[in-house]
Amino acid sequence: MTITRRGLIAGSAALPFAGAAMAQETHPARAALNAIKPAGYPREPIEMVVVYPAGGGMDITGRVVQRFFERVTGERSFVNNRTGGAGLVGHTWLATQAPHDGHAIGIIANLVISDAARSQGRWQVSDLDHIAHLNAEPLNLMVNADGPFKTGGLRGLLEAARARPGTIRVANVVGGYYEYLIEQLEQASGSRFLKVPFQGGGPGITALLGNNVDLAFGFFAEVRGHMQGNRLLPVAVTGRQSTPFLPETPTVNSIIGRNDANWGVSRWIAVPKAVPADRKAWLAAAFRAAVADPALVEEFRNLGALPDPALDTPEKLNAAVAQMAEAERAYLVASGRATR
Amino acid sequence: MDTIGGLLAGFEVILTWQNIQFIFIGSVIGTLIGVLPGIGPLAALSLLLPATVALPPVGAIAMLCAIFYGSMYGGSITSVLVNIPGEAASVVTCLDGHAMAKQGRAGAALGMAALGSFIAGTLGIIVLCLAAPMLGAFAIRMGPPEYAALMLLGLACTILMIQGSALKGAIMIGLGAWLAAIGMDIVTGEFRFTAGSVDLSAGIELLAVVIGLFGVSEILLNVEQSARGMAVKAKLSAVWPTRADWKASFAPILRGSGLGFAIGLLPGGGPVTASFLSYAVERRVGKNPETFGKGRIEGVAGPEAANNAAVSSGMIPLLSLGIPGNAVTALLMGALIINGVQPGPTMMADRADVFWGVIASLYIGNVFLLVLNLPLVGLWVQLLRVPYAVLFPAILLLALVGTYSANRNLFDLWVMLGFGVVGWFLRKLGYELAPLVLAFVLAPLLEQSLRQSMVMSPDGAMIFLQRPLAAVMIAAAVGMLLLVAFKRKTTTLVGGTA
Repeated sequence: MTITRRGLIAGSAALPFAGAAMAQETHPARAALNAIKPAGYPREPIEMVVVYPAGGGMDITGRVVQRFFERVTGERSFVNNRTGGAGLVGHTWLATQAPHDGHAIGIIANLVISDAARSQGRWQVSDLDHIAHLNAEPLNLMVNADGPFKTGGLRGLLEAARARPGTIRVANVVGGYYEYLIEQLEQASGSRFLKVPFQGGGPGITALLGNNVDLAFGFFAEVRGHMQGNRLLPVAVTGRQSTPFLPETPTVNSIIGRNDANWGVSRWIAVPKAVPADRKAWLAAAFRAAVADPALVEEFRNLGALPDPALDTPEKLNAAVAQMAEAERAYLVASGRATR
Repeated sequence: MDTIGGLLAGFEVILTWQNIQFIFIGSVIGTLIGVLPGIGPLAALSLLLPATVALPPVGAIAMLCAIFYGSMYGGSITSVLVNIPGEAASVVTCLDGHAMAKQGRAGAALGMAALGSFIAGTLGIIVLCLAAPMLGAFAIRMGPPEYAALMLLGLACTILMIQGSALKGAIMIGLGAWLAAIGMDIVTGEFRFTAGSVDLSAGIELLAVVIGLFGVSEILLNVEQSARGMAVKAKLSAVWPTRADWKASFAPILRGSGLGFAIGLLPGGGPVTASFLSYAVERRVGKNPETFGKGRIEGVAGPEAANNAAVSSGMIPLLSLGIPGNAVTALLMGALIINGVQPGPTMMADRADVFWGVIASLYIGNVFLLVLNLPLVGLWVQLLRVPYAVLFPAILLLALVGTYSANRNLFDLWVMLGFGVVGWFLRKLGYELAPLVLAFVLAPLLEQSLRQSMVMSPDGAMIFLQRPLAAVMIAAAVGMLLLVAFKRKTTTLVGGTA
């Protein structure tokens, strides 16, 4: 490479416009989208709200999706991390304060359901319209590859728990799926675990690597590197069937004989209910076209998640969200946390 | 692993004009955000993250890293000149740095801050090269009991920072710990002290507290005193530290480097904690501790070295294990993943170009920053010629913009302004603010690791004695507290003052 002053300037000037340059290729779905595009919308870059910090799993998905949205529509957009209160601040903003003109949308996950419960009646999941599904992935149950449970799998760990109650240390994140899953494992083993609390799944995985806990849960992207380095071993996955990323690993359900250990993450696009219908329709179609792009599916696969072809319309997604909320409510009632 | 070979290969990767441009841009941006109060490395990196998607991974990460350590260089500038920290890791630099500026030695303070940063950065990188995998493996063994013990030791060090009344210091530590407790309880998931407010449920933002307590209150004090003409008289010529300064700073820089490196290595540690602890240690080991806060160059050199070393060592868990230790390295990890590099123990083998390229970039960036910063010291000092009537409104505006940019939450601005008023009152009443900030940083980590330890231990508090490293640190903390108590008692007796 030759040294030119122009090269230096071009190098620096290219940075902020990288996204826009990418959007200039015309995507095959563009024409169909333009046909239903509302007049005068969008008139400014669309804010895509991610309620978790930059660099985390949700944020990475958000940024990939944002890039494909621009590629499909040719419109400008940006990811904005509205963080705090483990997601509560951003979710509350989306449900109660976000503008209703379609210039602010949420890239959210099923964790919105428990945040709605935590909002003390300020807002509900039904205050948002869920317009396009992105992807879903299960939780992976991991043990240390040099630890006491490297052989025997989840079954062995549960037997050890039964033999020595109150000695198995599990990384927990309070008030959510991690806690529910641990309770199901406790019931299966008939004994109590030591539920060590962490602020998020990542620190729990770190503790597992240092043998400071015996069992931790993580998403595929969080644990893949450690599996490749032979530090961690998967012992089970949540969900109704095995994940294609770990075909040999059994489901929790098959080991503990249940059908409701399906905690995982499902991600989608949501907008405030009051956004005009034609704008919602255009946004839904744009994201559907993005998720249908094999290049985006490949990006999702690299992150350890897969799209769900069954959830291809807003109606089906809204129904699925309602169903997830119902499953969680049913669990909360059954476990004595809620009365109805 | 052949370290020299890897490093040479790393330089080969990084020494392209394109990558050098990225490092240079990162160094400049980093220095600027360090100078601007409020805008910290985290906000700058999240704003720039999308832009890195289109860049080659090594260049992108090298640029983001340069912003991080660049901000450590820049952060000391406003601390020294106008007593307003550029970012949280430069809070303690205000104490002696600004006192030096008032004595006309701003140039010496800034020069030593830059040199201390450079030496610490370089030492940190050398150790990082030689021992990254080993140190990473050690850091990961540190579990909740070791953390709890370490944080206890840290809080014991806070007590060493207290200059005047022990009671006032204890009140500040308690206040800091209470403020940090606001938000979600990690064990029960319940909200504490939030009064039903969604804004408070996220806890109070460190940046808003620091900028309010130190920056806004300083402006308020100056507004009050402006009639008396309290402008700092800076000698613009004396940029280079004197031989005596060098002699005094040499050991503090080495100690700060070692301490900062150790703190930065640990998940949860970081430049802020490192700089505070370094200051506390310098006060402890230095001669005439009562003159700290009145313009001792050791109080600038040590902490500035410590925060830079912490940045270098913070890269170790990330690069060698794929474990981010603080918010900024978590963001760097996201940048790696976005760029198609899977962080983890295999990265060193799979993507040796990224691993060694980034390490080599740290060398180059530190050289850039020294070359950028030393000549600029003279220029920065000229800032003092700007009348306060112009300078302070401009700083206040930047602080507002910077604090807002961190979370894009208006509530943070009210927090910042509120703490400005609180800080002004506290300073007028003779309370020290530094212990409050350190307690605010350390108390949540202590609480979390203490409660984790108690949950994970079948034998209750015995876990702290069963784990040798934790036991040693707790013994050190207790010893330090006893020493302080004894010393205070004897000074009181000898001095005859109550």
